[in-house]
Amino acid sequence: MAERRVRVGSKVGLHARPAAVFVRAAAEAPVDVTIARRGRPPVNAKSILAVLGLDVRHDEEVVLAAEGEGAEELLDRLASLVATTEHDGG
Amino acid sequence: MTRVLAPVAGRVVGLAGVPDPVLAEAMVGPGTAVDPIRAPGRAAAPVTGTLLKLHPHAYVVLDAEGHAVLVHLGVDTVRLGGTGFEPLVPEGAHIEAGRPVVGWNPAAVEAAGRSPVCVVVALDAHPDALSRVAESGEVEQGAELFTWT
Repeated sequence: MAERRVRVGSKVGLHARPAAVFVRAAAEAPVDVTIARRGRPPVNAKSILAVLGLDVRHDEEVVLAAEGEGAEELLDRLASLVATTEHDGG
Repeated sequence: MTRVLAPVAGRVVGLAGVPDPVLAEAMVGPGTAVDPIRAPGRAAAPVTGTLLKLHPHAYVVLDAEGHAVLVHLGVDTVRLGGTGFEPLVPEGAHIEAGRPVVGWNPAAVEAAGRSPVCVVVALDAHPDALSRVAESGEVEQGAELFTWT
């Protein structure tokens, strides 16, 4: 299981617009991938409902996890999306 | 089948009429949008169910079929920090379709430099799951915007 810990860059947290960009990238991956708030159960990173439901705030740390072929590259890509300050708003 | 109702009265513009590429390209989900009447009002629940998430400017209602609908009041309105929005129901509450959820004033949102277009999208839905999606014309609050199977 590969993991990344990353802080949310979006000023508004992982809400509509940044969440949608993140989920789309996760959904394109062939392997399962999860996102969790620190110390909380992971949820499906390919579900916009699950990610919006997490209600992650700006600068909060999240844990991304995936397993299987391409997991490391996938998590690098997703971590950079979480950390970015682009796609602000929503 | 879930009937998704208009949270606000106004002119249906479809997602293509939303001035935001992520929302317009249905990346958040398939659905439609309503350019609201510029008068103080109370945005309503689009379906009957649980008020799963409530932000001042956006909310998600999950119905008994497991269909979750996001209502986003205006574009980039998260930046208004809740000013001008009055939540009327606590998060987690059961709510009937058509009942008020958030009080707001689209004219004030517009005056603050944001589009007040109200986005209504189906979360985790395949676009083919939606039918009879309204894309144009005037709509009353509580009228059907689309169905979801």
